[in-house]
Amino acid sequence: MAAQSDYKKSLEYYKHLSLFWTDIVYLMSSKPSALTSAGPMRKFAMQAKKLATEMIEANEDLTEFNTRLAEYYKQLSDTWIEAQKRVNKKITEIPQDMEHLEASKRVWIDMFENDFTQLFDSEKFGENFGKLISSELELSKHWNKMLSVLLETANIPTKNDIDEIYKELHSLRKRMSKLEKNGNQTKVKNNGK
Amino acid sequence: MENELKIDPKLVAEFFKFNKNMIEAPKMVPVPDEINLEMTPYDVAYSEDKIRLLHFNSPTQKQHQTPLVIVYALINRYHILDIQPHKSWVRNLLNQGYDVYMIDWGTPSNIDKYLGFDDYVNGYIDNCVDFVCNEASVNKVSMQGYCTGGTLATVYAALHPNKIKNLVATAPVIDGQRDTTVVGNLAKHMDVDNMVETIGNMPPEFMYYVFSVLKPFEQGIEKYINFFRNIDDKNYVDSFLRVEKWLNDTPPIPGELFRQWIKDIYQDNLLIQNKMYVGGKLVSLKNITMPIFTQVAVGDHLVSPECSMPLHYAVGSEDKTLRIYPTGHVGMIASSFSQKNVLPELGEWLKERSNK
Repeated sequence: MAAQSDYKKSLEYYKHLSLFWTDIVYLMSSKPSALTSAGPMRKFAMQAKKLATEMIEANEDLTEFNTRLAEYYKQLSDTWIEAQKRVNKKITEIPQDMEHLEASKRVWIDMFENDFTQLFDSEKFGENFGKLISSELELSKHWNKMLSVLLETANIPTKNDIDEIYKELHSLRKRMSKLEKNGNQTKVKNNGK
Repeated sequence: MENELKIDPKLVAEFFKFNKNMIEAPKMVPVPDEINLEMTPYDVAYSEDKIRLLHFNSPTQKQHQTPLVIVYALINRYHILDIQPHKSWVRNLLNQGYDVYMIDWGTPSNIDKYLGFDDYVNGYIDNCVDFVCNEASVNKVSMQGYCTGGTLATVYAALHPNKIKNLVATAPVIDGQRDTTVVGNLAKHMDVDNMVETIGNMPPEFMYYVFSVLKPFEQGIEKYINFFRNIDDKNYVDSFLRVEKWLNDTPPIPGELFRQWIKDIYQDNLLIQNKMYVGGKLVSLKNITMPIFTQVAVGDHLVSPECSMPLHYAVGSEDKTLRIYPTGHVGMIASSFSQKNVLPELGEWLKERSNK
C-alpha cells in the first residue's frame, strides 16, 4: 500500500511539473506563433496540454489495467493448479494403457471444465473481468482523445463529429421509414375504397 | 532393466496415428474459408438497410395457410438453421409443407451503432411481417425466434399481438437474473454504458472471448482432438468444418441494442417483470395471448433453461406448451436429435394451429 501511495505521489508531482512547463511554454510562445494561425502548428500548440494530460492520465489507467490483468491471470493459474492437482490424484487410479486412454482424457477434461466453469461463474471473476474491461475502455478513451487532438489540428473530423453524423443519419432513416410506412398504409386504404 | 519405462505399444501407435492425421489433414479436408454455408435455395423477398428477409424455395407444395417467419439470433448467422441437408431446420419445415421466411440481420457497421430494440422490433421485424402478410394474403403469421431472436420475437409478439398467430420461442433469453450461464455472470458485471460510448458496436472479437470461456476444454481442446482423430470420416469432417465456420462468423451487435439488452434483460431484468420499454411502449408479456410453444434444452450452456422457461408462465396465452429437450443449445436446432424429436413435434403443434 505504501508503495502504491508513493507511486501516486510521484505521479502527481510529475503531472504538475509537466503541466506547469507546458503552460509556461505555451504562454511564452503563443504570441509569436499566432503568426502561423492558418497552419497546423498553432492549433497543435494550443492543444498540446491536452495531449500531455491525456498521456499522464493514461499512465494511471495503465496501472489499473495491469493490476486487473495480473489478477485475471492469477485466477486462471490458481484454478489450473488446483484442477491439475485433482487430476493427478485421480489419474493414478486409471491404468495407463490404450483401453483407458479415453477415460483418462475424460477425467482431465471434466475436472478442468468443472473447475474453470466454477471460476467463470464466480462473483470474483465477474467483478475483476468487468473492471479489466472498464480499464481497457479508459485506455481507449485516452487514445481517442489524443487522436482527436491531432485530427483537429488537421481539420479532419473526430470520433465525436462522426458520431454526431451517425446519430443524425439514424434519426433520418427512422423518419423516412415511418413516412414510407404511412404512405403505404394510405395507398392500401385508398385502393380499398 | 528394472527401471525400464513401460508404455502400452497401442498408445504409441495411437500417438503416431494422431500425428499422421495432423500432417495429412490439409490434403484431406477442404480449406474452411472455401466452404459455402448456403444450403437451401432462397429468394431475398425484402430488404431494408442491411437486413434481408429470406424466402426459402420449397421442394413440396405449401400445405399450411399461415407462413412461418423465423427471427434469427443476433449472434453468429442464420446458416446454423440450414447447416446440412440432413440436419436442416429450414428444410425439415419445408418438407412438412410450411412456407418459411427467415430474417438475416446482415453485418451492422459503425453507422448502425444507434440502432436499438425499437428499430429491430418496431422497424425491421414489423416491416418484414407486413411484407409477408401482404405477399401471402394473410393477416397474421406464425413467428419463431431462436436464442436472442427468441427475445426479439417475444417482444414483438407482446407489442403487436394482432399480427402473430402462433409464437415459437426456442431457447429465448427472458429472465436474465435466473440465467446461470457464464454469459449471465459476465453480463451482470459489465459497464455497458462505458463500453457502448467508447467502442460503439459490440465487436465480434468480444463475443468470441465470451464464448471461449463457456466450455473452454471441451470446445477449445477436445473437439479439435476429435477432429484430427476422425479425419477419415467424411461426414464428421464436413459437419465439423461447417459448424466451426458458422461459430467463427459473428457480426457486431449495434451498440444501442447491446446496451438495452444487457441493462434491461440481464442487469435490471425488466422484461420478465413487464417493466421494459421499447419505442416508448411498455412490453407486457401478458399481451401474448396467441398459442405459444416454448422450447428449451437441459444442456444449454448459452441460455440456461431457467432463463427461458419463465416465459411459459408469464404470458397471457391459454394455449401454451413447454418442452424441455435432453440436448444443448445448438443440438436443439441442428442435429439428428432435433430432426427426430424437436421438429416433428413442432410441425404437429404448428399444423394444428396454422390452418384454423
